[in-house]
Amino acid sequence: MSRRLPPRRRLARSRWAISIAFGLGVIGFVGAAQWNSSLLRQQFITSAQTVLITQAEQLQRNQETLRAEIEAADDRVQGFQEQDAGSQAVLRRLNEELAAVRLAIGLEEVRGPGVVLEIADSQRAVPVGESAANYIVLVDDLRDIVTALWAAGAEAITIAGGAAEGIPSERIVASTSIDGAGPAILVNSARLSPPYRIEAIGPDGLHERFLTHPTYLGRVARRIEAYGLQFASEARDELTLAEFVGNTRLRWGAPIAVAD
Amino acid sequence: MAGRVAQLSLFVVAIVIGILLVGQLRSQAPSIQLSSLSAQELSALIQTLSARNVELGEALAELREQIRSYEVAEVQGQSTLDLTEAELERHAAFGGLRGVDGQGVVITIEGVSDPTPINDIIYELRGAGAEAIAVDQIRVTARSVATLGAGVIEIDGRPLGRTVEIRAIGSPEGLNSALRRPGGILTLLEQSIGAQFAIEPRTSLRVPATERDLAPQAARPVE
Repeated sequence: MSRRLPPRRRLARSRWAISIAFGLGVIGFVGAAQWNSSLLRQQFITSAQTVLITQAEQLQRNQETLRAEIEAADDRVQGFQEQDAGSQAVLRRLNEELAAVRLAIGLEEVRGPGVVLEIADSQRAVPVGESAANYIVLVDDLRDIVTALWAAGAEAITIAGGAAEGIPSERIVASTSIDGAGPAILVNSARLSPPYRIEAIGPDGLHERFLTHPTYLGRVARRIEAYGLQFASEARDELTLAEFVGNTRLRWGAPIAVAD
Repeated sequence: MAGRVAQLSLFVVAIVIGILLVGQLRSQAPSIQLSSLSAQELSALIQTLSARNVELGEALAELREQIRSYEVAEVQGQSTLDLTEAELERHAAFGGLRGVDGQGVVITIEGVSDPTPINDIIYELRGAGAEAIAVDQIRVTARSVATLGAGVIEIDGRPLGRTVEIRAIGSPEGLNSALRRPGGILTLLEQSIGAQFAIEPRTSLRVPATERDLAPQAARPVE
C-alpha cells in the first residue's frame, strides 16, 4: 500500500502551497516596506524637528481647547442676552438684529441646498525632473475654489481636511486666511490635511455656475486635468454648515457709529 | 471540504490584514504630514499657531469679562442692553456691516488687469491679520471677490479704477512686512505681471461698511 498521493492531488496541493506562500510573501513585503519606511522617515527627522513637531502638536491641541471654550462662553453670553431685565420690546428688537447680523456674517450654523466638493493630491507618480508640488493640492487651489464659489453665488462656505468622518470644518468669514506651511494648509490658522472637503450653500444652479466660472477653469481645473489631482463635486438638496468659532474682536480699529 | 475551509480561512485572514493595514496607514497620515515639514516650515507653522492662540486667548478673556458683566448686572437687577448693543456693533464691524476706524496701511496698485492678484493680496492681508479691508472704497466681506466684469475688474458688482487703492486696518508694521517680505506676494506680482505697488502705513484710516445686503436667501439658521 502506497502512502503517496495520486499525482493529480499532489499537484493541487503544491499549487495551494505556492498560492499561500505567495500571499504571505506579499503581506510580509508590504509590512516590512511600511515598517522600514517609517524607520527611515524617523531617522531623517532631526532632534530639532522632533521638538518643533511636539511644539506644533501642543499648540494645535491648545487651539482646539481654546475654540471649545470660546464656543461655550459664546453660548453663555447669548443666554444672558435673551433674558435681560430691561425693556422687553427693546430687548426683542436688539436680539433680532443681533441674530440677523450673526447669520449674515457666518457666526451661526446654517442649513440649505448647495454643493459638496472634494479635492486631494494626485495619485500619479511624479515624473523624473518634475516638481512634486505640481501633484499636491496647493493653497491657490483652495483659494480659487472658494473665490469661484463666492462668485457663483454661495452664501456660506466651510472647508474641512482629512479622511476621517465628522472632522471639524472651518467656516469662511471676513477675516479668514487660507495659507500654506509647506505641504500643510492653514484655514483660519487651523491645520488641514488632504483630502479637502469644501461645502457651500447657495441658490439653485450653484454647482453649474461654479464649474463654469472662469476662476475655477483658469487654474484649478487645468491642474486637475494636467496633474491628476483627485476632484469630485455634486449638488446637494440639504447641507448643514458649522458656524465660525474664533476671534471677532478688533484690536487695531473700532466700529464707526452709525450716525457718523 | 478541507480545501474549502482553507480557502475561507485565507480569505478571512487576508481581509483582517487588509483592514489593519488601512487602519494603520490612516492613523499615521496626519503625523506623516507634520513630520514631512522642514524645520523652517515648522517654525513658520508654530509662529502662526502661536499668534492665533494668543488671539483666541484674548477673545476668550473678553468673553469671560462679558459673562462677568452680565452676571453682575443680573445680580443687581440692572439692564444689560448696552453690553448687547456693544456686541452687535463689534460683530457688525467684524463682518463688514459697519465701517471701521483705526490704524493700517494703504496700498496703491497700478497695472493690474486681472482679478487674481487683487484676490491674492486680500488673502495675504487676511493672513497678516488685517481686520477690515476695502478696495476702492468697497468693503471686502467674506463673500466679496474680485472678478472680471465687462472688461473691468469688479468687486460686489462695482468696477475698480485703473489705479486700485486697498485700505487695510491692522498692525501697520505687521501688514507692511508681510506684503514686502522677500519672495512675498508683491515681489511675485511685480515680477510676474509687472505691476507697480506703493504701501503707506497710516496711523489713522477709515474703511467703510459694505453696501451689499448680506442676508442669505438660500441659507437658513439651524434652530
